[in-house]
Amino acid sequence: MTETVIRLQLNQQQLELMDRTIARGVAPDRIALVRLAISEYAAARMAETSAKRNDLEPVR
Amino acid sequence: MSGRHVLFEHVLEPGTGKAIELLKGQILRIEQIEGGQCADFNCFNLHDYKEFMHCGRTRTVHGFHPTKGTFMWSAPPRERAMLYILEDTVGRNDVLFPRCSAYVYEASYGFAVHTNCHDIQAEAQREYGLTPDDVHDSFNLFMCTGVDEDGHAYMTRQTTKAGDHVDLLALMDVLAVPNVCGADVMRTSNFSLKPLKLTVFAATTADLAQVPKTPLLSSQRTPKDFRNPTIKADRPLRRDPAYTPEFPNTPIRVTELPVALSADEMAMFRSVKRTDIYGEDDAAALRDLLFSWWEERFLHAHAGAPSIESK
Repeated sequence: MTETVIRLQLNQQQLELMDRTIARGVAPDRIALVRLAISEYAAARMAETSAKRNDLEPVR
Repeated sequence: MSGRHVLFEHVLEPGTGKAIELLKGQILRIEQIEGGQCADFNCFNLHDYKEFMHCGRTRTVHGFHPTKGTFMWSAPPRERAMLYILEDTVGRNDVLFPRCSAYVYEASYGFAVHTNCHDIQAEAQREYGLTPDDVHDSFNLFMCTGVDEDGHAYMTRQTTKAGDHVDLLALMDVLAVPNVCGADVMRTSNFSLKPLKLTVFAATTADLAQVPKTPLLSSQRTPKDFRNPTIKADRPLRRDPAYTPEFPNTPIRVTELPVALSADEMAMFRSVKRTDIYGEDDAAALRDLLFSWWEERFLHAHAGAPSIESK
């Protein structure tokens, strides 16, 4: 399976926020948290796009 | 309102203000007598004037037109709720504009002397030893304002009537300083100056029960937490040769976190990444996505504004 590696640059405060989020049980580790962010953020944008598209449909 | 005991009454005549010791659990009512009058308002911690109501913090939390059910906050690093707006019969106040000043009336209208909120505030608070430099931006009651499309704040006329009022409940002992806005050549108070009525009540149990709890956080610091708790008593600024910087969390250290993404994950990332800002810098775009997602999922306040939910 082809994978692409992105090298995030994060400072200690950003890492602390990630770690506190992980400690709440949101994700098991930092990498998983980033993956969760991508999937949920993309899903939210897709939902927004769908809603906008529907808004343009004529009222029947 | 029923059952409140009146402690003090005063009529603010046009061109004047009044410094009032408003103790915790007391309510200051600022009331229209004729209608159509803006009141500027400021307050200080009665026991430490360096803690004062801060319009910037207040508008960040509550927006440009705070009304019933919101708080007046003190400036960082104190950031405490000083007053609670218990009642507001109009619902249109302003924290965009600073207090008007003599400069405005001289520069724009040619007045050598003119009633203005800065000087009225200064004269009122002089009763408590404060100087004109101690006047801070005011919370402008009954003032109708907005923001133009070009980003400028504007003011317009108001429609308040006799009897309209705002009730401010003190959550700490404060020196409250309301004044009749001095602007009679602007729309602020419909081009005339009118008196306002001030009444101080003792809050009832029912009044106190309306106040939402606010957080108590370690970041709400007082002089006992300061590296330099002493108020500077002279005017010139001189370098302290013994000073060594102690900025928190410094140095800022950047760590690399490699994240291996599958083809599907990359496709999702590409569909939402902000190439308009970051171009081909995928690392910066992914960092943006990560914290934008965090804001959406976990932030309870507007971005950049402190949450005032109490745990």
